[in-house]
Order: sequence, then C-alpha cells, then structure tokens
Amino acid sequence: MTASNSHKWASLPDPSPAELARAAQGDAKAFRTIVERYQGMVYSVAYNVLGSHTDAEDAAQDAFLRCYRKLSQYREEASFSTWLFRLALTTAVDYKRRESRHPEPVDVPDLVDDAPELGEGVSAATIMAALRDLPDDYRVPTVLRDIYGLPYQEIADVTGRPLGTVKVMVHRGRASLRLKLRPAGGTA
Amino acid sequence: MDCSYYRERINEYVDGEMDYLQVAELQAHLSFCPDCAVELAQTGELRGALADWGRLELAPPPGFAERVMAAVELEPAPGATRTAGQLLHDTLHKLDDRLGSISLPGGRTIPVKNLIGWGVATAAVVIGLGRRRERGSRELPL
Repeated sequence: MTASNSHKWASLPDPSPAELARAAQGDAKAFRTIVERYQGMVYSVAYNVLGSHTDAEDAAQDAFLRCYRKLSQYREEASFSTWLFRLALTTAVDYKRRESRHPEPVDVPDLVDDAPELGEGVSAATIMAALRDLPDDYRVPTVLRDIYGLPYQEIADVTGRPLGTVKVMVHRGRASLRLKLRPAGGTA
Repeated sequence: MDCSYYRERINEYVDGEMDYLQVAELQAHLSFCPDCAVELAQTGELRGALADWGRLELAPPPGFAERVMAAVELEPAPGATRTAGQLLHDTLHKLDDRLGSISLPGGRTIPVKNLIGWGVATAAVVIGLGRRRERGSRELPL
C-alpha cells in the first residue's frame, strides 16, 4: 500500500529507534509519546473513512491498540508514520465492514489548523459536510483514492471488493461530490 | 450529443489510466464539447480540493490520548504470553473481520459469526433432544 508523502504527518520526525524499542517492550511513557504525536493523523484517517465522530474515535483507539500489539513487528523498511498510517487505514476499513454506522450528523471534529479555504475556493467545512453525507459505499473508495492516493487495485484489496466495482464507486462518488460542491448553475 | 462514453473516459484521464491514443481521442472530443470540458475541469478541481482536505489534520476529541492509554494499560505487555481467554477474544475478533455482518431493517447489523454460532448451538440442542427421546423410547417398561 502506498500513500502520498505530501500529507502533514509524513513530515513528522519518526520516533527514534530507542523510543520505538522502549514502546515495543511495553514502556507506557514511550508509547504515550507516539499516541500524542500521531493522534491527529490516526483520527483524521478514521474520520475520513467512517464519516462519524463516534466511529472515528473507536476506530482510532483500535488502531493504537493494534499498533501497541504489533510494534515489535515493525521493521524500518517503511517510515514509522507510513506504517502507522497503513495500520490506521486498514483498521478503519475493517471497522466499517464490522460495525454499523452511528448516525451523527451534527457533532463534527475541529480542525487542528485554521484552514477555512482549500485550494479551489471550496471551504473545509463544505468538503467535510459533502464527504460526511456521501453514502458509505461511495465515500470509502473515494476517500482512499482521492484523499490518500491509493491505487485502485489496493483499494479493491483493502475493501474486499472487485476492481471494477471500486472504480464505479469512485466515479459515482466524484460525481456526487461535484454536485454537492457546485450548486445548480455553477461552473468550474 | 451522447457524451456518456466520454464522461467515463474523463475519470480514466484524471486517474492517468489512458494510453496516448485514448488521450488524443478525448482531447479531440473536448475541443468541440464545452460540457465535457467543464466536467473535466470540475473533476480536476474536486481532486485538488480533496487532496488539500487530506492534508488537514482533525483534532481528536478532548481526552482521546488518555482513553487510549487507559485501554493500553489493560493490554498484556507486548510479547507476553496471552491467556486462553485473550486468544479466544482475538480469534473471535478476527472472525468478525473476515466474515463481516448482515444488515437488518432499522440500520442494525448482525455478525455472521454470531449466526453461525447460534446455528451450531441450535443443531446441538436438536441432536441432543433427539438422542434423549430415542433413549427414552428404548427404556420404556415392558
């Protein structure tokens, strides 16, 4: 699985090998440092995949527990942040397949940074609302493709859906988002 | 004009999945179809906005790190021998991941694993009752 390295978390310095070794041996203080450093990334991934504050918190906590259990298996072939991102993503998708969605249309998380406008003049709040309202079948593959840059085949592998279905879902997700972000009569 | 063929190609184009000839064919169509040209521009803008959104970080709810650490405290130390109960819990959790769940009316779901478990339990009860009845009929006084 690959991920765009342009995300904010990708620029965070990895924990040192000594810190990782201490956390892998059960040092709670060392592991807490990891949680505090990466909680925004793990929570954001979970929220974007699940579209629900409650589900995102559960899935993000689950991701950190998996991280704690598997930390001794981490090898430095990939950066730690990429390894944890992959873990957070698969945990969120697993959670989506396992749990029913908690309907929660009002309570949305705050942004860490103030960034009301995205590159194309679309507000962050508008994107958040549009993604949240997207049907799950469209949102998950669209988020994986257009937010996290995963290849279609990897999305099919992660979600357990046929490649052709994944492509159709992404195309429909994009069409639905375009309609939500560009009201009737609007143009590019 | 029916542009449905080209609308699909637009997605393939922005995904970089077209060869040279397909790109040339799409560009030829775009040169005289303003609707498809607008759709291409909007799809490109949408992808840009989504990529920007992905670079933002959402703030976890207050106390999130504390709750994670409280859950971690309940975990056995990494590498420690897991109890039979913990192994059973992990196995059931993995089964849930693999088998998924079935949607019920009202938005509820039921894990496939549970259905299988109830099926096995019901079969065991039915078989047990059958054997009991069979034994009872054999032991009837003459």
